[in-house]
Amino acid sequence: MSDLDDLPPAPPAAGTSLDGTAVFTISAEENAALCRSTGIEPAADGTAHPIYYYIATQVAMGKTVAGVCEACEFDVDDGPMMGSSGVRFDAPLQVGESYKVTGEILSLVRKRSRKLGVMDVLTYRLRLHVLDGTQVLETDNVWVLPRKEFAA
Amino acid sequence: MTYAVGDTLPPFTIESVSPEAMKQWAVFLADPNPIHLDAEVVKAKGLGDRVINQGPINVAYMMNMLMRAFPGGRIAAMDSRFLDNVYGGDRATVTGKVAAVEGGAVTCEFVLEIEGRGMVNSGTATIET
Repeated sequence: MSDLDDLPPAPPAAGTSLDGTAVFTISAEENAALCRSTGIEPAADGTAHPIYYYIATQVAMGKTVAGVCEACEFDVDDGPMMGSSGVRFDAPLQVGESYKVTGEILSLVRKRSRKLGVMDVLTYRLRLHVLDGTQVLETDNVWVLPRKEFAA
Repeated sequence: MTYAVGDTLPPFTIESVSPEAMKQWAVFLADPNPIHLDAEVVKAKGLGDRVINQGPINVAYMMNMLMRAFPGGRIAAMDSRFLDNVYGGDRATVTGKVAAVEGGAVTCEFVLEIEGRGMVNSGTATIET
Protein backbone atom coordinates (compact mmCIF):
# COMPACT_ATOMS: atom_id res chain seq x y z
CA MET A 1 0.00 0.00 0.00
CA SER A 2 1.37 3.42 -0.95
CA ASP A 3 1.64 6.09 1.72
CA LEU A 4 -0.44 8.26 -0.63
CA ASP A 5 -3.38 5.86 -0.77
CA ASP A 6 -5.27 7.84 1.85
CA LEU A 7 -5.04 11.03 -0.22
CA PRO A 8 -7.00 12.17 -3.27
CA PRO A 9 -4.94 12.24 -6.47
CA ALA A 10 -3.33 15.43 -7.75
CA PRO A 11 -5.63 17.48 -9.99
CA PRO A 12 -5.48 16.53 -13.70
CA ALA A 13 -3.47 19.56 -14.80
CA ALA A 14 -1.16 17.80 -17.27
CA GLY A 15 -1.77 18.99 -20.80
CA THR A 16 -2.98 22.44 -19.82
CA SER A 17 -1.88 24.85 -22.52
CA LEU A 18 0.43 27.70 -21.59
CA ASP A 19 0.54 29.15 -25.10
CA GLY A 20 0.70 32.92 -24.87
CA THR A 21 -0.74 35.67 -27.00
CA ALA A 22 1.44 38.46 -25.59
CA VAL A 23 4.64 39.60 -27.28
CA PHE A 24 7.67 40.15 -25.06
CA THR A 25 10.29 42.62 -26.24
CA ILE A 26 13.63 42.90 -24.45
CA SER A 27 14.33 46.60 -24.12
CA ALA A 28 17.86 47.95 -23.89
CA GLU A 29 16.91 50.02 -20.87
CA GLU A 30 15.45 47.11 -18.91
CA ASN A 31 18.27 44.76 -19.89
CA ALA A 32 20.81 47.28 -18.61
CA ALA A 33 18.93 47.72 -15.33
CA LEU A 34 18.60 43.97 -14.92
CA CYS A 35 22.29 43.32 -15.58
CA ARG A 36 23.34 46.00 -13.08
CA SER A 37 20.93 44.64 -10.47
CA THR A 38 22.87 41.36 -10.62
CA GLY A 39 26.33 42.94 -10.46
CA ILE A 40 27.42 43.09 -14.10
CA GLU A 41 27.33 45.52 -17.00
CA PRO A 42 25.18 44.75 -20.07
CA ALA A 43 26.94 43.10 -23.01
CA ALA A 44 28.18 45.41 -25.73
CA ASP A 45 27.34 42.99 -28.57
CA GLY A 46 23.55 43.34 -28.43
CA THR A 47 22.88 40.10 -26.60
CA ALA A 48 20.53 40.23 -23.63
CA HIS A 49 21.21 38.65 -20.26
CA PRO A 50 20.40 34.94 -20.67
CA ILE A 51 18.18 35.01 -17.55
CA TYR A 52 15.58 36.50 -19.88
CA TYR A 53 14.89 32.86 -20.74
CA TYR A 54 12.97 32.72 -17.47
CA ILE A 55 11.57 36.25 -17.45
CA ALA A 56 10.30 36.32 -21.04
CA THR A 57 8.66 32.92 -20.80
CA GLN A 58 7.01 33.69 -17.47
CA VAL A 59 5.73 37.11 -18.50
CA ALA A 60 4.46 36.11 -21.97
CA MET A 61 3.08 32.64 -21.27
CA GLY A 62 -0.65 32.19 -21.50
CA LYS A 63 -1.29 32.22 -17.75
CA THR A 64 -0.06 34.29 -14.84
CA VAL A 65 1.80 32.58 -12.00
CA ALA A 66 -1.48 32.65 -10.08
CA GLY A 67 -3.22 31.19 -13.12
CA VAL A 68 -0.77 28.31 -13.37
CA CYS A 69 -1.38 27.61 -9.68
CA GLU A 70 -5.12 27.79 -10.25
CA ALA A 71 -4.83 25.18 -13.02
CA CYS A 72 -3.28 22.97 -10.33
CA GLU A 73 -6.11 23.86 -7.88
CA PHE A 74 -3.52 25.58 -5.70
CA ASP A 75 -3.79 29.04 -4.12
CA VAL A 76 -0.75 31.12 -5.07
CA ASP A 77 -0.89 32.67 -1.58
CA ASP A 78 0.01 29.26 -0.15
CA GLY A 79 3.51 29.77 -1.53
CA PRO A 80 4.67 27.85 -4.60
CA MET A 81 8.41 27.16 -4.41
CA MET A 82 10.88 26.79 -7.27
CA GLY A 83 12.39 23.32 -7.36
CA SER A 84 14.51 23.44 -10.48
CA SER A 85 14.83 25.17 -13.81
CA GLY A 86 16.48 23.99 -16.99
CA VAL A 87 17.02 25.71 -20.33
CA ARG A 88 18.37 24.74 -23.75
CA PHE A 89 19.21 27.68 -26.00
CA ASP A 90 19.09 27.41 -29.78
CA ALA A 91 20.25 31.02 -30.12
CA PRO A 92 21.25 33.91 -27.85
CA LEU A 93 18.55 36.33 -26.73
CA GLN A 94 18.84 39.76 -28.30
CA VAL A 95 18.10 43.25 -27.05
CA GLY A 96 15.36 44.81 -29.17
CA GLU A 97 14.01 41.44 -30.31
CA SER A 98 10.40 40.43 -29.75
CA TYR A 99 9.35 36.95 -28.65
CA LYS A 100 6.26 34.86 -28.06
CA VAL A 101 5.71 31.74 -25.95
CA THR A 102 4.22 28.30 -26.38
CA GLY A 103 4.07 25.63 -23.73
CA GLU A 104 2.14 23.28 -21.55
CA ILE A 105 1.98 21.67 -18.13
CA LEU A 106 3.77 18.33 -18.39
CA SER A 107 2.84 16.78 -15.07
CA LEU A 108 1.47 17.31 -11.59
CA VAL A 109 2.52 14.56 -9.20
CA ARG A 110 1.48 14.22 -5.56
CA LYS A 111 4.24 13.23 -3.14
CA ARG A 112 4.87 13.11 0.55
CA SER A 113 8.06 14.72 1.86
CA ARG A 114 9.55 14.51 5.33
CA LYS A 115 10.29 18.25 5.27
CA LEU A 116 7.20 19.64 3.52
CA GLY A 117 4.52 17.02 4.12
CA VAL A 118 2.15 16.44 1.21
CA MET A 119 3.09 18.38 -1.90
CA ASP A 120 2.33 18.44 -5.60
CA VAL A 121 5.33 18.62 -7.92
CA LEU A 122 4.49 20.66 -11.02
CA THR A 123 6.55 20.39 -14.19
CA TYR A 124 5.85 22.67 -17.12
CA ARG A 125 7.60 23.35 -20.41
CA LEU A 126 7.78 26.66 -22.24
CA ARG A 127 9.32 27.52 -25.58
CA LEU A 128 10.36 30.99 -26.71
CA HIS A 129 10.05 31.90 -30.38
CA VAL A 130 10.84 34.94 -32.47
CA LEU A 131 7.76 36.23 -34.22
CA ASP A 132 8.36 34.23 -37.42
CA GLY A 133 7.99 31.09 -35.30
CA THR A 134 11.66 30.12 -35.06
CA GLN A 135 12.33 28.61 -31.63
CA VAL A 136 15.18 30.16 -29.65
CA LEU A 137 14.94 28.16 -26.43
CA GLU A 138 13.05 25.56 -24.45
CA THR A 139 12.79 25.59 -20.67
CA ASP A 140 11.43 23.10 -18.14
CA ASN A 141 10.57 24.41 -14.70
CA VAL A 142 9.64 22.44 -11.61
CA TRP A 143 7.66 24.01 -8.79
CA VAL A 144 6.77 22.49 -5.46
CA LEU A 145 3.23 23.22 -4.29
CA PRO A 146 2.93 22.42 -0.55
CA ARG A 147 -0.55 21.04 0.23
CA LYS A 148 -1.11 22.38 3.71
CA GLU A 149 -4.70 21.12 3.67
CA PHE A 150 -3.37 17.56 3.96
CA ALA A 151 -1.12 18.32 6.96
CA ALA A 152 -1.39 15.65 9.63
CA MET B 1 40.77 31.40 -21.93
CA THR B 2 41.37 27.65 -22.03
CA TYR B 3 40.19 25.28 -19.33
CA ALA B 4 40.82 21.63 -18.56
CA VAL B 5 38.73 19.14 -16.60
CA GLY B 6 39.00 19.84 -12.88
CA ASP B 7 39.96 23.51 -13.27
CA THR B 8 38.19 25.88 -10.90
CA LEU B 9 36.42 28.90 -12.34
CA PRO B 10 36.85 32.44 -11.01
CA PRO B 11 34.20 33.02 -8.32
CA PHE B 12 31.47 35.64 -8.62
CA THR B 13 30.37 37.41 -5.43
CA ILE B 14 27.48 39.64 -4.49
CA GLU B 15 28.62 41.38 -1.31
CA SER B 16 25.08 42.14 -0.13
CA VAL B 17 21.92 40.87 -1.82
CA SER B 18 19.84 43.95 -2.53
CA PRO B 19 16.19 44.41 -1.47
CA GLU B 20 16.03 47.23 -4.01
CA ALA B 21 16.93 44.79 -6.77
CA MET B 22 14.07 42.54 -5.62
CA LYS B 23 11.68 45.46 -6.17
CA GLN B 24 13.04 45.85 -9.70
CA TRP B 25 12.65 42.12 -10.35
CA ALA B 26 9.05 42.15 -9.16
CA VAL B 27 8.47 44.40 -12.17
CA PHE B 28 10.71 42.42 -14.55
CA LEU B 29 8.87 39.19 -13.63
CA ALA B 30 5.43 40.82 -13.40
CA ASP B 31 5.13 39.00 -10.07
CA PRO B 32 4.50 41.16 -7.01
CA ASN B 33 4.77 38.32 -4.47
CA PRO B 34 5.15 40.20 -1.14
CA ILE B 35 7.74 37.80 0.28
CA HIS B 36 10.20 39.59 -2.03
CA LEU B 37 9.06 43.05 -1.00
CA ASP B 38 7.98 43.12 2.64
CA ALA B 39 9.91 41.55 5.52
CA GLU B 40 6.78 41.65 7.68
CA VAL B 41 5.08 39.25 5.26
CA VAL B 42 8.09 36.93 5.42
CA LYS B 43 7.88 36.97 9.23
CA ALA B 44 4.12 36.34 9.18
CA LYS B 45 4.62 33.29 6.96
CA GLY B 46 7.34 31.94 9.25
CA LEU B 47 9.92 32.04 6.46
CA GLY B 48 12.51 34.26 8.16
CA ASP B 49 12.91 37.91 9.01
CA ARG B 50 14.23 39.40 5.77
CA VAL B 51 12.89 39.66 2.22
CA ILE B 52 13.57 36.62 0.03
CA ASN B 53 15.42 36.94 -3.27
CA GLN B 54 13.46 35.83 -6.34
CA GLY B 55 14.79 32.46 -7.51
CA PRO B 56 15.66 33.65 -11.03
CA ILE B 57 18.02 36.30 -9.58
CA ASN B 58 20.02 33.47 -8.06
CA VAL B 59 20.16 31.82 -11.48
CA ALA B 60 21.37 35.13 -12.92
CA TYR B 61 24.24 35.22 -10.39
CA MET B 62 25.29 31.74 -11.54
CA MET B 63 25.05 32.81 -15.19
CA ASN B 64 27.21 35.85 -14.39
CA MET B 65 29.95 33.61 -13.02
CA LEU B 66 29.85 31.55 -16.21
CA MET B 67 29.82 34.56 -18.55
CA ARG B 68 32.82 36.08 -16.76
CA ALA B 69 34.70 32.78 -16.82
CA PHE B 70 34.09 32.32 -20.55
CA PRO B 71 34.29 35.75 -22.25
CA GLY B 72 32.91 35.43 -25.76
CA GLY B 73 31.34 32.08 -24.89
CA ARG B 74 27.63 31.26 -24.95
CA ILE B 75 25.56 29.35 -22.42
CA ALA B 76 24.00 26.58 -24.52
CA ALA B 77 22.25 24.74 -21.69
CA MET B 78 21.86 25.13 -17.96
CA ASP B 79 20.10 23.30 -15.14
CA SER B 80 19.64 24.82 -11.69
CA ARG B 81 18.32 23.36 -8.46
CA PHE B 82 16.87 25.48 -5.68
CA LEU B 83 17.80 24.19 -2.24
CA ASP B 84 17.19 27.10 0.12
CA ASN B 85 16.27 30.77 0.18
CA VAL B 86 18.59 33.73 -0.34
CA TYR B 87 17.71 36.73 1.83
CA GLY B 88 18.27 40.46 1.56
CA GLY B 89 21.68 41.34 2.95
CA ASP B 90 23.18 37.90 2.34
CA ARG B 91 26.71 37.65 0.95
CA ALA B 92 26.38 35.28 -2.02
CA THR B 93 29.24 33.62 -3.88
CA VAL B 94 29.13 31.39 -6.96
CA THR B 95 31.98 28.92 -7.41
CA GLY B 96 32.42 26.28 -10.07
CA LYS B 97 34.70 23.87 -11.83
CA VAL B 98 35.06 22.26 -15.23
CA ALA B 99 33.51 18.80 -15.42
CA ALA B 100 34.09 17.98 -19.09
CA VAL B 101 35.59 19.43 -22.26
CA GLU B 102 34.49 18.14 -25.63
CA GLY B 103 35.36 20.00 -28.79
CA GLY B 104 34.24 23.57 -28.27
CA ALA B 105 31.86 22.69 -25.48
CA VAL B 106 32.75 22.94 -21.79
CA THR B 107 30.51 21.44 -19.13
CA CYS B 108 30.68 23.07 -15.69
CA GLU B 109 29.33 22.32 -12.23
CA PHE B 110 28.69 25.18 -9.85
CA VAL B 111 27.09 26.16 -6.56
CA LEU B 112 25.74 29.33 -5.01
CA GLU B 113 26.66 29.61 -1.35
CA ILE B 114 25.65 32.07 1.33
CA GLU B 115 28.22 33.13 3.89
CA GLY B 116 27.41 31.40 7.16
CA ARG B 117 24.71 29.13 5.72
CA GLY B 118 26.29 27.22 2.86
CA MET B 119 24.85 26.01 -0.43
CA VAL B 120 21.48 27.32 -1.59
CA ASN B 121 21.60 26.58 -5.34
CA SER B 122 23.53 24.17 -7.51
CA GLY B 123 23.68 23.49 -11.18
CA THR B 124 25.37 22.38 -14.35
CA ALA B 125 25.83 24.15 -17.65
CA THR B 126 27.32 23.66 -21.07
CA ILE B 127 29.20 26.59 -22.55
CA GLU B 128 29.98 26.86 -26.24
CA THR B 129 33.35 28.57 -26.47
